[in-house]
Order: sequence, then structure tokens, then C-alpha cells
Amino acid sequence: MQPILAVMYREYKIRITSLVWLFYDIVMPFAYLLIFGLGFNTAFSSGITSDGASVSYNTFFLPSVLSMACFGIAINTSYGFFVDRDNGIFYEFLTYPMTRSQFLIGKITFNCLTSLVQGIVAITLGTLFLGVRIASGSVPLLLGGVIVGTAGWFFFLAIFALRIRRNDTFNTLINVLYFVLLFLSSLFYPIEHLPAWFRIGSYLNPITWHTDVLRYCSAGMGDGPGILWEMAAFVLFLCGSFWFAVRTLQKAV
Amino acid sequence: MNAYAIDVRRLVKEFSQRGLPPLRAVDEVSFQVRVGEIFGLLGPNGAGKSTTMKLLTTLLTPTSGEASILGHDVVRNPLEVRRSIVAVLQENAVEIFLSVKDNFRTFGRFHGLSWAEIETRSERVIELFGLADVRNQKPIDLSGGMKRRVQVAKVFMVDKPVIFLDEATTGMDTINKRATINAIREEARRGRTIILTTHVLEEAEELCGRLVIIHRGKVIASGSPAEVTSLSLKLFRLSLTVETLSEEILAAISAESPLELTSRDQTAEVTLRDERSALRILASVEKISPVLHFEMSGSTLEDAFLHLVDQVEKP
Repeated sequence: MQPILAVMYREYKIRITSLVWLFYDIVMPFAYLLIFGLGFNTAFSSGITSDGASVSYNTFFLPSVLSMACFGIAINTSYGFFVDRDNGIFYEFLTYPMTRSQFLIGKITFNCLTSLVQGIVAITLGTLFLGVRIASGSVPLLLGGVIVGTAGWFFFLAIFALRIRRNDTFNTLINVLYFVLLFLSSLFYPIEHLPAWFRIGSYLNPITWHTDVLRYCSAGMGDGPGILWEMAAFVLFLCGSFWFAVRTLQKAV
Repeated sequence: MNAYAIDVRRLVKEFSQRGLPPLRAVDEVSFQVRVGEIFGLLGPNGAGKSTTMKLLTTLLTPTSGEASILGHDVVRNPLEVRRSIVAVLQENAVEIFLSVKDNFRTFGRFHGLSWAEIETRSERVIELFGLADVRNQKPIDLSGGMKRRVQVAKVFMVDKPVIFLDEATTGMDTINKRATINAIREEARRGRTIILTTHVLEEAEELCGRLVIIHRGKVIASGSPAEVTSLSLKLFRLSLTVETLSEEILAAISAESPLELTSRDQTAEVTLRDERSALRILASVEKISPVLHFEMSGSTLEDAFLHLVDQVEKP
């Protein structure tokens, strides 16, 4: 446990050196909801209907925002490998008395706490000021989903950040992933009426699995068995990514 | 239980290269380091020193061979190895966005020190390495030499039994080099085992009880600095200053067939194969003009190093 706490302490010390970063981390999901959500909420004033349930766009969009926030934090955290590598400290870390998995878990545990704070801020402000409706009992489930989502995406992106030596290559990959994963998913719209190729692509996308589970928790949208499959798929994605990330870290020098 | 602090046997590391045969960076390297010893790993650039260090600090996995630190195998038990060591790697490694003091705090946490221990020990190394004025500054604003100082100072905060120093004094000024050398000696006196690489051969000669010279991944010489030096060509250098360095004096020196002769103003520098020639030169010169000053030196570790590397390079 001590090595994990040490990594968390280090992440915390670095994070508080930049107030802009801290502000962005905490407020970003709510800002999405405020700007993007408000625009679409007004455009789709009749609300969004999916799987027989009808909700306001902001209610539909809240889990998407949380899902995007998980992805965003995972990008920032995995990008940290490049900063550490440029400063040489990355290799020194690997000689410290901890396992490779403790290193990764410590890094993501702190960032999961950040995403938890993000989630609480977005849910609270969204409910109070933007008319988002969620069942109060679903909040712990939503926050649990945020933690799992952040960890899953971090381990996935860490595989690439540890394998790719050039940060411009990593940036390009992230831009492509961002475009494909975010838009070929259920983040911004229900996918049930979209063309078959789009639906197939979306159902192969872990962002869809994650968002659908969060949406089921917050707005009750989706069918139970399908959501269970998506939940299982995401957990599998997380475990597989963790395994690959640890293996990659073992060969990272 | 292995009696050595570090035991390396026929260690090999190969790196695959696209379309080419694998590059053997470390080739059947073997050496043993006793507890409390300062051991040197010398060699030209690209010889395989840093790769050997990376294998011993668990950053890389060997292709074959064995290596253990305090009896812990680097492949089978890497965590126990990491618990026994502390390392300064060749790359500059500091947290550039954290203050110098916070660099020590985070390092201390990683190595399991309590907050009280971190405070006491970081103050000690801040004092020892002259970092008091920059303790609240971030390394991003410091010079390269200062960053290196912070990096090296961290190592002396913790009591790990084995210390790895990969060109630790590179980029440091003379005063801090001296402080580092003294700190290394002090730690060895306290029973810690130190393995170091350096390009400054005088430093190795001064610090190391034993050393190996590595070239193209292979050990080409090993032993105490004196033993390794004795493997050189045994050249002697004579420097003599006279009132007037005349043609007659230069002819007298040349009569002894020196390997090299250079002259400037009143001083002649001569490289010879044996001590007796030097004595004969002194006697003949003294007869022509009074010798104001002379100095004679034997082979150094550097001579041996250059000679040994040159021998390997010859077809």
C-alpha cells in the first residue's frame, strides 16, 4: 500500500503546482454541460427518446459528459509518461521499491479521485442549475462508474503512451481516437435509429459501453440485459488493458 | 546465501534490430562486488556500462546469464532487488515542476521514509550539497549542474545497502564533485556497497577498490586500479625545466630515443619506456645546464585504459 500512497502523493504534488490544470480538471465536465448541453437542450427542446424513455437533452447528456471526463483525465495522466520520460525521472521511478502494477495503480488512484470530484461537481451543478434529473439513489452507482471508466481508459491509453516514443505520434493517435471513439458512440445521440454500420461500430466502442451503463444508472435508459453485457465488456476491457499496460511497462526501457 | 553484494555471471543483453542481427550490448560480463566495496565500471562511450547498470537495477531484463543483488536475482525477484538499491542513472532525473525540497519529499516517500525522517535527512543533504539557497526553487529554473546535484543528493537521503551511480558527477563543479566523492567514501565506510561508472578516470583511481574495464560489451580488464594500471605499456613521463633549452640539450634527450619529445620555452616534456633513460637524461642535461625543476610520473589508469582499448581495436 505504501508505494501506491507514494505515487498518489507525487501525483498530488504535481497537480497542485498548476491552478489552471486543477481548475480545468474540476470544472471541465460541468463546462461541457453548460455550453454544449445548453445549446443542444435548447435545440432539442422536445427532449430525447431512446428505448422508450424520454428525457431532456441535458439529462441524456450528463452521463456522456462524465464519460468524456474519464477519457480526458486518462489522456492527461497517460501523457504524463512523456513528461516524465523527457525529464528522465521515468526511468528512475522504475528503480524505486515498487512493482510496475503498483506504479500504475498509484497513478490512476489519484486521478480517479479527481474524476470523482469532477463527477460530484457536474452532477450537483447540473441538477441544481441545468435541470438535469437523476434518481438520488443512482449517484453512488454513477460515481462508481466514473472511477471504473477513468481507470479503464487510463490503462488502455498507457499501453500506447509507454510504447510510443514520440509525443507528436501519441498526440496524433489521441486526436484520431478522440474523433472516432467520441463520435462513433452513444455519447451525443441515441444510436438505435442510425445506419447499421454506425450501430455496429458504436457497439464495438468501449465509450458506448461505459456511457450506456452510466445512462442506465442516471436516467434509466437502455435494457437491463444489454446493459449487463456492456458492463461486463467494459470490465473486461479494463482488466485486459491493465494486464497489457503492466506488461508494456515491464519492457518500457 | 551469496557472499557478494553484487554477483554478475556471464551476463548477456542483446537488442533486436530491424533487418540486422541482434546487437549484443553486454557480452558474457562477469564480476563480483564485496559488501562495503566501491567498484568501478569503466569503458568508452557505448561500451555497455549503462546497459549493465540498467540490468542490475531491473530496468532491463538480461538475454542470458545471471545477476543478483544481496542474493536477490534481478529477474526472479526484481522487487527485492529494488528494495535493496538506490540509483543515480545517466539521464538527468528530477521533478522539474516540484521545488527542490519537494523533490526530496517525494523521493523519501517512495523509499518509505517517515515525514520526520524526510525532514531531517533532506536538510542534511541540502547542507551537504550546497542546495540551501535553491531549496524552494523548481529545478526547471536551475542549471544542468544544479539539477544533477539535486538528483545525486537524493541518493544520500536513504540507507539502501547498494548504491548505483552512473556518471554521477557529470556536469558538477569541482566543489560539488569533491562533496560527492567524500559522501561516496563515507557511505562505503558505513558498509554500503557502491558501484559506479565514470569517464573521469582519476575519480575511479581515487575511489574504487576494484574495477572492470568494459569495451564492446566485454570485460577486457579487471582488478584494483594498480593492477589494471600495471597492464599498460609502462610509460614514464619526464618534465624538466632548465635555464636555457639549447639544441645541445635537446640532442642529449633525443640520444635516449624517447617515444615523444616536445619543448616550450625552458621546458621539455619527454615520454620514455623506462625509468633509467629518464635518470640518464637528467644526468646529461645537468652537465650542460642547471636543471631548475623536474617531475617524473609513471603510468596512470588512463594510460592503461587507452592502451587496453587500443589493443582490442587492433585487428
